Amino acid sequence: MSENLREVLDLSLFWEYRTVLLKGLWMSLGVFAASAVLALAVGLGVALLRVGRNAWLRRYAVLHTEVARNAPDYIMIVWVHFVLPLLVGKLIGQRLEFNPFYSAVIALAFVYSGYFAETFRAGIEAIPRGHVEAGQALGMSPRRITWRLVLPQVVRRMLPESTNQFISMFKATSIVSLIAVPDLMYQVSMISSQEMRPLPLYTGAALVYFVIVFCAATALQAFSSRWRSKVYA
Amino acid sequence: MKAEFDASPVSASPAALHPQAAVEAAVPCIRVVDLHKRFADLEVLKGVSFEVHRGTVLSMIGASGSGKSTLLRCINRLETPSAGDVLFEGQSLCQANGRALGYNEVNRIRRDLGMVFQQFNLWPHMTVLQNVMEAPRHVRGMDKARAREVAEACLRRVHLWEKADAYPARLSGGQQQRVAIARALAMQPKVMLFDEATSSLDPELTEEVLAVMRELARDGTTMIVVTHEMGFAREVSDHLMFLHNGLVEEQGPPEQLFGAPRSERLRHFLSKALSRERGA
Repeated sequence: MSENLREVLDLSLFWEYRTVLLKGLWMSLGVFAASAVLALAVGLGVALLRVGRNAWLRRYAVLHTEVARNAPDYIMIVWVHFVLPLLVGKLIGQRLEFNPFYSAVIALAFVYSGYFAETFRAGIEAIPRGHVEAGQALGMSPRRITWRLVLPQVVRRMLPESTNQFISMFKATSIVSLIAVPDLMYQVSMISSQEMRPLPLYTGAALVYFVIVFCAATALQAFSSRWRSKVYA
Repeated sequence: MKAEFDASPVSASPAALHPQAAVEAAVPCIRVVDLHKRFADLEVLKGVSFEVHRGTVLSMIGASGSGKSTLLRCINRLETPSAGDVLFEGQSLCQANGRALGYNEVNRIRRDLGMVFQQFNLWPHMTVLQNVMEAPRHVRGMDKARAREVAEACLRRVHLWEKADAYPARLSGGQQQRVAIARALAMQPKVMLFDEATSSLDPELTEEVLAVMRELARDGTTMIVVTHEMGFAREVSDHLMFLHNGLVEEQGPPEQLFGAPRSERLRHFLSKALSRERGA
Protein backbone atom coordinates (compact mmCIF):
# COMPACT_ATOMS: atom_id res chain seq x y z
CA MET A 1 0.00 0.00 0.00
CA SER A 2 1.38 3.42 -0.89
CA GLU A 3 2.28 5.85 1.84
CA ASN A 4 -0.46 8.26 0.75
CA LEU A 5 -3.18 5.62 0.85
CA ARG A 6 -2.02 4.38 4.24
CA GLU A 7 -2.31 7.94 5.53
CA VAL A 8 -5.84 8.34 4.14
CA LEU A 9 -7.05 5.15 5.78
CA ASP A 10 -5.35 5.70 9.13
CA LEU A 11 -8.17 7.11 11.25
CA SER A 12 -6.28 7.25 14.54
CA LEU A 13 -5.97 11.04 14.25
CA PHE A 14 -9.77 11.28 13.83
CA TRP A 15 -10.24 9.12 16.91
CA GLU A 16 -7.77 11.22 18.89
CA TYR A 17 -9.94 14.32 18.43
CA ARG A 18 -13.21 12.48 19.00
CA THR A 19 -14.45 14.77 21.81
CA VAL A 20 -14.27 17.96 19.81
CA LEU A 21 -15.49 16.22 16.63
CA LEU A 22 -18.46 14.80 18.49
CA LYS A 23 -19.31 18.29 19.67
CA GLY A 24 -19.21 19.37 16.02
CA LEU A 25 -21.44 16.47 15.04
CA TRP A 26 -24.03 17.49 17.63
CA MET A 27 -24.00 20.97 16.13
CA SER A 28 -24.54 19.49 12.63
CA LEU A 29 -27.48 17.46 13.94
CA GLY A 30 -28.84 20.56 15.70
CA VAL A 31 -28.72 22.61 12.48
CA PHE A 32 -30.39 19.73 10.62
CA ALA A 33 -33.16 19.22 13.19
CA ALA A 34 -34.01 22.91 13.50
CA SER A 35 -34.00 23.53 9.73
CA ALA A 36 -35.98 20.33 9.04
CA VAL A 37 -38.75 21.33 11.46
CA LEU A 38 -38.86 24.87 10.07
CA ALA A 39 -38.73 23.68 6.44
CA LEU A 40 -41.59 21.21 7.03
CA ALA A 41 -43.76 23.85 8.73
CA VAL A 42 -43.12 26.49 6.05
CA GLY A 43 -43.44 23.89 3.26
CA LEU A 44 -46.82 22.76 4.59
CA GLY A 45 -48.04 26.35 4.90
CA VAL A 46 -46.93 27.17 1.35
CA ALA A 47 -48.52 23.98 -0.03
CA LEU A 48 -51.84 24.81 1.65
CA LEU A 49 -51.71 28.30 0.11
CA ARG A 50 -50.90 26.74 -3.26
CA VAL A 51 -54.02 24.54 -3.24
CA GLY A 52 -56.18 27.20 -1.55
CA ARG A 53 -58.80 29.45 -3.09
CA ASN A 54 -57.09 32.84 -2.84
CA ALA A 55 -55.43 33.62 -6.18
CA TRP A 56 -52.89 36.08 -4.69
CA LEU A 57 -51.79 33.65 -2.02
CA ARG A 58 -51.51 30.95 -4.69
CA ARG A 59 -49.22 33.24 -6.70
CA TYR A 60 -47.12 33.93 -3.62
CA ALA A 61 -46.85 30.17 -3.00
CA VAL A 62 -45.61 29.57 -6.56
CA LEU A 63 -43.04 32.39 -6.22
CA HIS A 64 -41.83 31.09 -2.85
CA THR A 65 -41.46 27.56 -4.17
CA GLU A 66 -39.59 28.60 -7.30
CA VAL A 67 -37.21 31.01 -5.56
CA ALA A 68 -36.49 28.51 -2.78
CA ARG A 69 -35.91 25.53 -5.05
CA ASN A 70 -33.72 27.39 -7.49
CA ALA A 71 -31.43 29.00 -4.92
CA PRO A 72 -28.19 27.04 -4.30
CA ASP A 73 -27.75 26.16 -0.60
CA TYR A 74 -24.22 27.62 -0.58
CA ILE A 75 -25.22 31.04 -1.91
CA MET A 76 -28.32 31.19 0.26
CA ILE A 77 -26.31 30.58 3.44
CA VAL A 78 -23.87 33.36 2.55
CA TRP A 79 -26.70 35.67 1.50
CA VAL A 80 -28.76 35.15 4.66
CA HIS A 81 -25.73 35.62 6.89
CA PHE A 82 -24.12 38.63 5.20
CA VAL A 83 -26.68 40.39 2.97
CA LEU A 84 -29.95 39.92 4.84
CA PRO A 85 -28.70 41.63 8.04
CA LEU A 86 -27.61 44.63 5.94
CA LEU A 87 -31.04 44.88 4.30
CA VAL A 88 -32.99 44.42 7.52
CA GLY A 89 -30.59 46.77 9.35
CA LYS A 90 -31.16 49.42 6.68
CA LEU A 91 -34.93 49.03 7.07
CA ILE A 92 -34.91 49.41 10.85
CA GLY A 93 -32.03 51.92 10.87
CA GLN A 94 -29.80 49.81 13.06
CA ARG A 95 -26.63 47.75 12.63
CA LEU A 96 -27.53 44.07 12.68
CA GLU A 97 -25.59 40.83 12.86
CA PHE A 98 -27.04 37.30 12.72
CA ASN A 99 -25.85 34.42 14.85
CA PRO A 100 -24.30 31.91 12.36
CA PHE A 101 -26.45 29.07 13.70
CA TYR A 102 -29.66 31.00 13.02
CA SER A 103 -28.42 32.13 9.60
CA ALA A 104 -27.69 28.52 8.64
CA VAL A 105 -31.06 27.30 9.90
CA ILE A 106 -32.99 30.07 8.12
CA ALA A 107 -31.11 29.54 4.83
CA LEU A 108 -31.46 25.76 4.75
CA ALA A 109 -35.09 25.89 5.94
CA PHE A 110 -35.91 28.36 3.19
CA VAL A 111 -34.31 26.32 0.41
CA TYR A 112 -35.85 23.02 1.53
CA SER A 113 -39.26 24.56 2.28
CA GLY A 114 -39.57 24.86 -1.52
CA TYR A 115 -38.98 21.13 -1.99
CA PHE A 116 -41.26 20.16 0.89
CA ALA A 117 -43.99 22.50 -0.41
CA GLU A 118 -43.94 20.66 -3.73
CA THR A 119 -44.00 17.27 -2.02
CA PHE A 120 -46.92 18.32 0.21
CA ARG A 121 -48.77 19.80 -2.76
CA ALA A 122 -48.37 16.66 -4.84
CA GLY A 123 -49.53 14.60 -1.85
CA ILE A 124 -52.60 16.79 -1.28
CA GLU A 125 -53.56 16.67 -4.94
CA ALA A 126 -53.20 12.89 -4.99
CA ILE A 127 -55.91 12.45 -2.32
CA PRO A 128 -59.07 11.30 -4.10
CA ARG A 129 -61.68 14.05 -4.22
CA GLY A 130 -64.22 11.56 -2.85
CA HIS A 131 -62.42 11.36 0.51
CA VAL A 132 -62.93 15.09 0.96
CA GLU A 133 -66.53 14.88 -0.24
CA ALA A 134 -67.25 12.10 2.26
CA GLY A 135 -66.15 14.50 5.00
CA GLN A 136 -68.21 17.34 3.57
CA ALA A 137 -71.28 15.14 3.28
CA LEU A 138 -70.99 14.34 6.99
CA GLY A 139 -70.87 18.03 7.84
CA MET A 140 -67.16 18.33 8.64
CA SER A 141 -65.52 21.75 8.50
CA PRO A 142 -62.76 22.43 5.93
CA ARG A 143 -60.20 22.68 8.73
CA ARG A 144 -61.18 19.31 10.18
CA ILE A 145 -61.15 17.75 6.72
CA THR A 146 -57.62 19.06 6.16
CA TRP A 147 -56.20 17.97 9.52
CA ARG A 148 -58.07 14.71 10.08
CA LEU A 149 -58.61 13.35 6.56
CA VAL A 150 -56.15 14.91 4.11
CA LEU A 151 -52.86 15.54 5.93
CA PRO A 152 -52.56 12.13 7.64
CA GLN A 153 -52.83 10.55 4.19
CA VAL A 154 -50.45 13.08 2.65
CA VAL A 155 -47.78 12.32 5.26
CA ARG A 156 -47.95 8.60 4.45
CA ARG A 157 -47.77 9.28 0.73
CA MET A 158 -44.87 11.72 0.94
CA LEU A 159 -42.65 9.67 3.28
CA PRO A 160 -40.52 7.98 0.59
CA GLU A 161 -39.82 11.25 -1.23
CA SER A 162 -39.27 13.12 2.02
CA THR A 163 -36.63 10.60 3.03
CA ASN A 164 -34.56 11.73 0.02
CA GLN A 165 -35.08 15.36 0.94
CA PHE A 166 -34.03 14.79 4.54
CA ILE A 167 -30.88 13.06 3.27
CA SER A 168 -30.03 15.98 0.97
CA MET A 169 -30.73 18.38 3.78
CA PHE A 170 -28.48 16.58 6.24
CA LYS A 171 -25.69 16.47 3.68
CA ALA A 172 -26.19 20.19 3.04
CA THR A 173 -25.41 20.92 6.70
CA SER A 174 -21.78 20.12 5.80
CA ILE A 175 -21.40 23.56 4.22
CA VAL A 176 -22.56 25.66 7.17
CA SER A 177 -18.93 25.91 8.38
CA LEU A 178 -18.71 28.50 5.61
CA ILE A 179 -20.19 31.08 7.99
CA ALA A 180 -18.32 29.67 11.02
CA VAL A 181 -21.03 27.44 12.48
CA PRO A 182 -18.91 25.09 14.64
CA ASP A 183 -20.23 21.88 13.06
CA LEU A 184 -18.36 18.66 12.25
CA MET A 185 -16.75 20.03 9.08
CA TYR A 186 -15.71 23.21 10.86
CA GLN A 187 -13.94 21.14 13.53
CA VAL A 188 -12.34 18.97 10.85
CA SER A 189 -10.94 21.96 9.03
CA MET A 190 -9.68 23.54 12.30
CA ILE A 191 -7.89 20.33 13.32
CA SER A 192 -6.45 19.74 9.85
CA SER A 193 -4.97 23.23 9.68
CA GLN A 194 -3.40 22.54 13.06
CA GLU A 195 -2.16 19.01 12.32
CA MET A 196 -1.50 19.50 8.60
CA ARG A 197 -3.00 16.04 7.90
CA PRO A 198 -6.35 16.73 6.24
CA LEU A 199 -6.84 13.40 4.44
CA PRO A 200 -7.61 11.06 7.37
CA LEU A 201 -9.78 13.74 8.97
CA TYR A 202 -11.90 14.25 5.85
CA THR A 203 -12.09 10.48 5.29
CA GLY A 204 -13.33 10.06 8.87
CA ALA A 205 -15.91 12.82 8.41
CA ALA A 206 -17.11 11.22 5.16
CA LEU A 207 -17.51 7.89 6.98
CA VAL A 208 -19.49 9.53 9.80
CA TYR A 209 -21.84 11.20 7.29
CA PHE A 210 -22.24 7.94 5.38
CA VAL A 211 -23.03 5.84 8.46
CA ILE A 212 -25.58 8.35 9.79
CA VAL A 213 -27.35 8.83 6.46
CA PHE A 214 -27.35 5.12 5.64
CA CYS A 215 -28.72 4.02 9.03
CA ALA A 216 -31.34 6.80 9.21
CA ALA A 217 -32.53 6.23 5.63
CA THR A 218 -32.76 2.45 6.10
CA ALA A 219 -34.71 2.83 9.35
CA LEU A 220 -37.03 5.46 7.85
CA GLN A 221 -37.71 3.35 4.76
CA ALA A 222 -38.48 0.27 6.84
CA PHE A 223 -40.79 2.27 9.10
CA SER A 224 -42.45 3.97 6.15
CA SER A 225 -43.15 0.76 4.22
CA ARG A 226 -44.55 -0.95 7.33
CA TRP A 227 -46.72 2.06 8.13
CA ARG A 228 -47.97 2.40 4.56
CA SER A 229 -48.63 -1.30 4.06
CA LYS A 230 -51.40 -1.22 6.67
CA VAL A 231 -53.22 1.43 4.70
CA TYR A 232 -52.43 0.68 1.08
CA ALA A 233 -52.86 -3.04 0.49
CA MET B 1 -79.65 6.79 32.46
CA LYS B 2 -77.99 6.81 29.07
CA ALA B 3 -80.33 5.86 26.25
CA GLU B 4 -79.17 2.98 24.12
CA PHE B 5 -78.31 4.00 20.58
CA ASP B 6 -80.71 2.94 17.90
CA ALA B 7 -78.70 2.47 14.73
CA SER B 8 -81.68 3.34 12.55
CA PRO B 9 -81.79 6.66 10.84
CA VAL B 10 -84.74 8.79 12.00
CA SER B 11 -87.78 7.09 10.56
CA ALA B 12 -91.46 7.89 10.58
CA SER B 13 -94.36 5.90 11.82
CA PRO B 14 -97.52 7.99 11.30
CA ALA B 15 -99.44 6.24 14.07
CA ALA B 16 -96.86 7.28 16.61
CA LEU B 17 -96.80 10.90 15.57
CA HIS B 18 -97.90 13.67 17.96
CA PRO B 19 -100.17 16.44 16.57
CA GLN B 20 -97.14 18.74 16.19
CA ALA B 21 -95.23 15.94 14.50
CA ALA B 22 -98.20 15.27 12.27
CA VAL B 23 -98.02 18.86 11.04
CA GLU B 24 -94.30 18.43 10.46
CA ALA B 25 -94.95 15.19 8.61
CA ALA B 26 -97.10 17.07 6.15
CA VAL B 27 -94.03 19.10 5.16
CA PRO B 28 -92.06 17.09 2.62
CA CYS B 29 -88.76 15.85 3.99
CA ILE B 30 -87.06 16.88 0.76
CA ARG B 31 -88.53 19.24 -1.77
CA VAL B 32 -86.73 20.05 -5.00
CA VAL B 33 -88.04 23.04 -6.92
CA ASP B 34 -87.23 23.69 -10.57
CA LEU B 35 -83.61 22.68 -10.14
CA HIS B 36 -81.10 23.61 -12.82
CA LYS B 37 -77.43 22.74 -12.92
CA ARG B 38 -75.02 23.90 -15.55
CA PHE B 39 -71.32 23.03 -15.96
CA ALA B 40 -69.94 25.70 -18.31
CA ASP B 41 -71.86 25.17 -21.57
CA LEU B 42 -73.39 21.89 -20.53
CA GLU B 43 -76.79 22.03 -18.83
CA VAL B 44 -77.07 18.79 -16.86
CA LEU B 45 -80.34 19.53 -15.03
CA LYS B 46 -82.96 21.51 -16.86
CA GLY B 47 -85.63 22.14 -14.25
CA VAL B 48 -86.39 19.17 -11.99
CA SER B 49 -89.06 19.27 -9.27
CA PHE B 50 -90.23 16.57 -6.85
CA GLU B 51 -90.96 15.83 -3.21
CA VAL B 52 -89.96 13.05 -0.88
CA HIS B 53 -92.01 12.40 2.25
CA ARG B 54 -90.80 10.96 5.51
CA GLY B 55 -90.43 7.19 5.57
CA THR B 56 -90.63 6.77 1.80
CA VAL B 57 -88.10 5.54 -0.73
CA LEU B 58 -87.58 7.37 -4.02
CA SER B 59 -85.49 5.66 -6.66
CA MET B 60 -84.05 7.50 -9.62
CA ILE B 61 -83.27 5.57 -12.76
CA GLY B 62 -82.00 6.66 -16.14
CA ALA B 63 -79.14 6.23 -18.55
CA SER B 64 -75.63 7.43 -17.69
CA GLY B 65 -75.41 11.18 -18.18
CA SER B 66 -79.12 11.73 -17.55
CA GLY B 67 -78.33 13.87 -14.48
CA LYS B 68 -79.26 11.45 -11.64
CA SER B 69 -76.00 11.73 -9.69
CA THR B 70 -75.77 15.48 -10.21
CA LEU B 71 -79.30 15.80 -8.87
CA LEU B 72 -78.43 13.76 -5.78
CA ARG B 73 -75.27 15.80 -5.23
CA CYS B 74 -77.28 19.02 -5.47
CA ILE B 75 -79.57 17.75 -2.71
CA ASN B 76 -76.78 17.77 -0.15
CA ARG B 77 -75.00 20.66 -1.84
CA LEU B 78 -71.89 18.79 -2.98
CA GLU B 79 -72.86 20.62 -6.15
CA THR B 80 -74.28 24.12 -6.08
CA PRO B 81 -77.46 24.40 -8.15
CA SER B 82 -77.37 27.04 -10.90
CA ALA B 83 -81.05 27.86 -10.28
CA GLY B 84 -84.00 26.51 -8.33
CA ASP B 85 -84.04 25.36 -4.74
CA VAL B 86 -83.69 22.33 -2.50
CA LEU B 87 -85.61 22.35 0.77
CA PHE B 88 -84.98 20.01 3.69
CA GLU B 89 -87.95 19.99 6.09
CA GLY B 90 -88.97 23.34 4.64
CA GLN B 91 -85.54 24.93 5.05
CA SER B 92 -83.68 25.94 1.92
CA LEU B 93 -80.20 24.55 1.34
CA CYS B 94 -79.48 27.29 -1.15
CA GLN B 95 -80.59 30.58 0.37
CA ALA B 96 -81.88 32.29 3.48
CA ASN B 97 -83.28 35.82 3.66
CA GLY B 98 -82.40 36.45 0.03
CA ARG B 99 -78.71 35.55 0.37
CA ALA B 100 -76.80 32.39 -0.46
CA LEU B 101 -76.29 29.98 2.43
CA GLY B 102 -72.73 29.88 3.82
CA TYR B 103 -70.63 26.72 4.19
CA ASN B 104 -71.36 26.39 7.92
CA GLU B 105 -75.11 26.75 7.43
CA VAL B 106 -75.08 24.13 4.66
CA ASN B 107 -72.97 21.91 6.91
CA ARG B 108 -75.50 22.04 9.73
CA ILE B 109 -78.17 20.70 7.37
CA ARG B 110 -75.86 18.12 5.80
CA ARG B 111 -75.50 16.36 9.16
CA ASP B 112 -79.05 15.12 8.70
CA LEU B 113 -78.47 13.89 5.14
CA GLY B 114 -76.43 10.70 5.03
CA MET B 115 -74.68 10.06 1.74
CA VAL B 116 -73.30 6.81 0.34
CA PHE B 117 -71.02 7.08 -2.70
CA GLN B 118 -70.37 4.76 -5.60
CA GLN B 119 -66.65 4.57 -4.73
CA PHE B 120 -67.28 4.06 -0.96
CA ASN B 121 -64.79 6.83 -0.09
CA LEU B 122 -63.69 5.32 3.19
CA TRP B 123 -60.67 7.03 4.70
CA PRO B 124 -57.86 4.51 4.21
CA HIS B 125 -55.68 5.68 7.12
CA MET B 126 -58.42 4.94 9.66
CA THR B 127 -59.72 1.57 10.80
CA VAL B 128 -63.33 0.66 10.14
CA LEU B 129 -64.27 1.70 13.68
CA GLN B 130 -62.42 5.03 13.38
CA ASN B 131 -64.15 5.72 10.05
CA VAL B 132 -67.55 5.28 11.68
CA MET B 133 -66.66 7.14 14.90
CA GLU B 134 -65.12 10.16 13.19
CA ALA B 135 -68.23 12.22 12.45
CA PRO B 136 -70.23 11.43 15.62
CA ARG B 137 -67.18 12.42 17.64
CA HIS B 138 -65.99 15.48 15.78
CA VAL B 139 -69.17 16.77 14.15
CA ARG B 140 -71.87 15.76 16.65
CA GLY B 141 -69.41 16.33 19.52
CA MET B 142 -70.00 12.98 21.27
CA ASP B 143 -67.43 11.78 23.79
CA LYS B 144 -65.27 8.83 22.77
CA ALA B 145 -67.20 6.18 24.71
CA ARG B 146 -70.55 7.30 23.31
CA ALA B 147 -69.20 7.56 19.76
CA ARG B 148 -67.81 4.03 20.08
CA GLU B 149 -71.14 2.75 21.29
CA VAL B 150 -72.89 4.41 18.34
CA ALA B 151 -70.31 3.04 15.89
CA GLU B 152 -70.67 -0.46 17.32
CA ALA B 153 -74.46 -0.36 16.91
CA CYS B 154 -74.11 0.80 13.30
CA LEU B 155 -71.46 -1.77 12.41
CA ARG B 156 -73.56 -4.54 13.93
CA ARG B 157 -76.46 -3.31 11.86
CA VAL B 158 -74.47 -3.85 8.66
CA HIS B 159 -73.08 -7.13 10.09
CA LEU B 160 -69.46 -5.94 10.17
CA TRP B 161 -68.62 -5.47 13.84
CA GLU B 162 -66.03 -8.24 13.59
CA LYS B 163 -64.09 -6.05 11.11
CA ALA B 164 -64.00 -3.02 13.43
CA ASP B 165 -60.21 -3.02 13.74
CA ALA B 166 -59.45 -3.74 10.08
CA TYR B 167 -58.27 -1.10 7.64
CA PRO B 168 -60.51 -0.53 4.60
CA ALA B 169 -57.83 -1.87 2.22
CA ARG B 170 -58.30 -5.32 3.82
CA LEU B 171 -62.04 -5.43 3.06
CA SER B 172 -63.93 -6.51 -0.04
CA GLY B 173 -65.82 -3.88 -2.04
CA GLY B 174 -69.14 -4.99 -0.58
CA GLN B 175 -67.80 -4.82 2.97
CA GLN B 176 -66.35 -1.36 2.29
CA GLN B 177 -69.70 -0.15 1.05
CA ARG B 178 -71.45 -1.55 4.12
CA VAL B 179 -68.95 0.31 6.32
CA ALA B 180 -69.74 3.46 4.31
CA ILE B 181 -73.44 2.89 5.06
CA ALA B 182 -72.63 2.42 8.77
CA ARG B 183 -70.58 5.63 8.69
CA ALA B 184 -73.54 7.56 7.31
CA LEU B 185 -75.97 5.89 9.75
CA ALA B 186 -73.81 6.84 12.73
CA MET B 187 -74.90 10.46 12.28
CA GLN B 188 -78.52 9.30 12.63
CA PRO B 189 -79.53 11.12 9.47
CA LYS B 190 -83.12 11.89 8.60
CA VAL B 191 -82.58 11.02 4.94
CA MET B 192 -80.16 8.60 3.31
CA LEU B 193 -78.87 9.38 -0.19
CA PHE B 194 -77.39 6.50 -2.20
CA ASP B 195 -75.40 7.42 -5.30
CA GLU B 196 -75.11 4.23 -7.37
CA ALA B 197 -74.02 2.41 -4.24
CA THR B 198 -73.60 -0.94 -6.01
CA SER B 199 -72.32 0.15 -9.44
CA SER B 200 -68.68 -0.68 -8.77
CA LEU B 201 -69.41 -4.09 -7.22
CA ASP B 202 -69.68 -7.51 -8.82
CA PRO B 203 -73.10 -9.24 -8.58
CA GLU B 204 -72.29 -11.26 -5.46
CA LEU B 205 -71.08 -8.24 -3.52
CA THR B 206 -73.94 -6.13 -4.90
CA GLU B 207 -76.43 -8.45 -3.21
CA GLU B 208 -74.93 -8.02 0.28
CA VAL B 209 -75.14 -4.22 -0.04
CA LEU B 210 -78.69 -4.37 -1.43
CA ALA B 211 -79.70 -6.58 1.50
CA VAL B 212 -78.60 -3.86 3.94
CA MET B 213 -80.43 -1.21 1.90
CA ARG B 214 -83.58 -3.36 1.88
CA GLU B 215 -83.41 -3.60 5.67
CA LEU B 216 -83.13 0.17 5.94
CA ALA B 217 -86.14 0.63 3.67
CA ARG B 218 -88.14 -1.90 5.69
CA ASP B 219 -87.37 0.04 8.86
CA GLY B 220 -88.95 3.16 7.39
CA THR B 221 -85.80 5.07 6.48
CA THR B 222 -86.37 7.98 4.13
CA MET B 223 -84.17 7.19 1.15
CA ILE B 224 -83.30 8.66 -2.23
CA VAL B 225 -81.56 6.02 -4.30
CA VAL B 226 -79.83 6.50 -7.62
CA THR B 227 -79.54 3.01 -9.03
CA HIS B 228 -79.11 0.78 -12.03
CA GLU B 229 -80.59 -2.18 -10.12
CA MET B 230 -84.06 -2.42 -11.62
CA GLY B 231 -85.12 -5.35 -9.43
CA PHE B 232 -84.20 -3.43 -6.31
CA ALA B 233 -85.91 -0.25 -7.51
CA ARG B 234 -89.09 -2.16 -8.25
CA GLU B 235 -89.11 -4.04 -4.97
CA VAL B 236 -88.15 -1.32 -2.51
CA SER B 237 -89.28 2.04 -3.92
CA ASP B 238 -92.47 3.85 -3.03
CA HIS B 239 -91.89 6.19 -5.92
CA LEU B 240 -89.83 5.86 -9.06
CA MET B 241 -88.43 8.63 -11.23
CA PHE B 242 -86.99 8.20 -14.72
CA LEU B 243 -84.63 10.96 -15.76
CA HIS B 244 -83.68 11.65 -19.32
CA ASN B 245 -81.41 14.40 -20.53
CA GLY B 246 -81.72 16.49 -17.35
CA LEU B 247 -85.50 16.28 -17.07
CA VAL B 248 -87.97 14.00 -15.32
CA GLU B 249 -89.34 12.01 -18.24
CA GLU B 250 -91.75 9.95 -16.20
CA GLN B 251 -92.50 9.29 -12.53
CA GLY B 252 -94.95 7.39 -10.40
CA PRO B 253 -95.36 4.15 -8.43
CA PRO B 254 -92.84 1.51 -9.54
CA GLU B 255 -95.53 -0.95 -10.60
CA GLN B 256 -96.89 1.68 -12.97
CA LEU B 257 -93.53 2.59 -14.49
CA PHE B 258 -92.42 -1.01 -14.83
CA GLY B 259 -95.88 -2.36 -15.75
CA ALA B 260 -97.13 0.25 -18.15
CA PRO B 261 -94.50 2.83 -19.06
CA ARG B 262 -96.02 5.72 -20.97
CA SER B 263 -92.89 7.19 -22.51
CA GLU B 264 -91.15 5.50 -25.41
CA ARG B 265 -87.74 6.38 -23.89
CA LEU B 266 -88.57 4.65 -20.61
CA ARG B 267 -89.82 1.58 -22.47
CA HIS B 268 -86.58 1.46 -24.43
CA PHE B 269 -84.46 2.02 -21.28
CA LEU B 270 -86.31 -0.67 -19.31
CA SER B 271 -86.12 -3.26 -22.07
CA LYS B 272 -82.34 -2.79 -22.29
CA ALA B 273 -81.82 -2.67 -18.51
CA LEU B 274 -84.01 -5.69 -17.80
CA SER B 275 -82.46 -7.79 -20.55
CA ARG B 276 -79.01 -6.91 -19.17
CA GLU B 277 -80.11 -7.98 -15.66
CA ARG B 278 -81.52 -11.23 -17.03
CA GLY B 279 -78.23 -11.80 -18.85
CA ALA B 280 -76.29 -11.22 -15.64
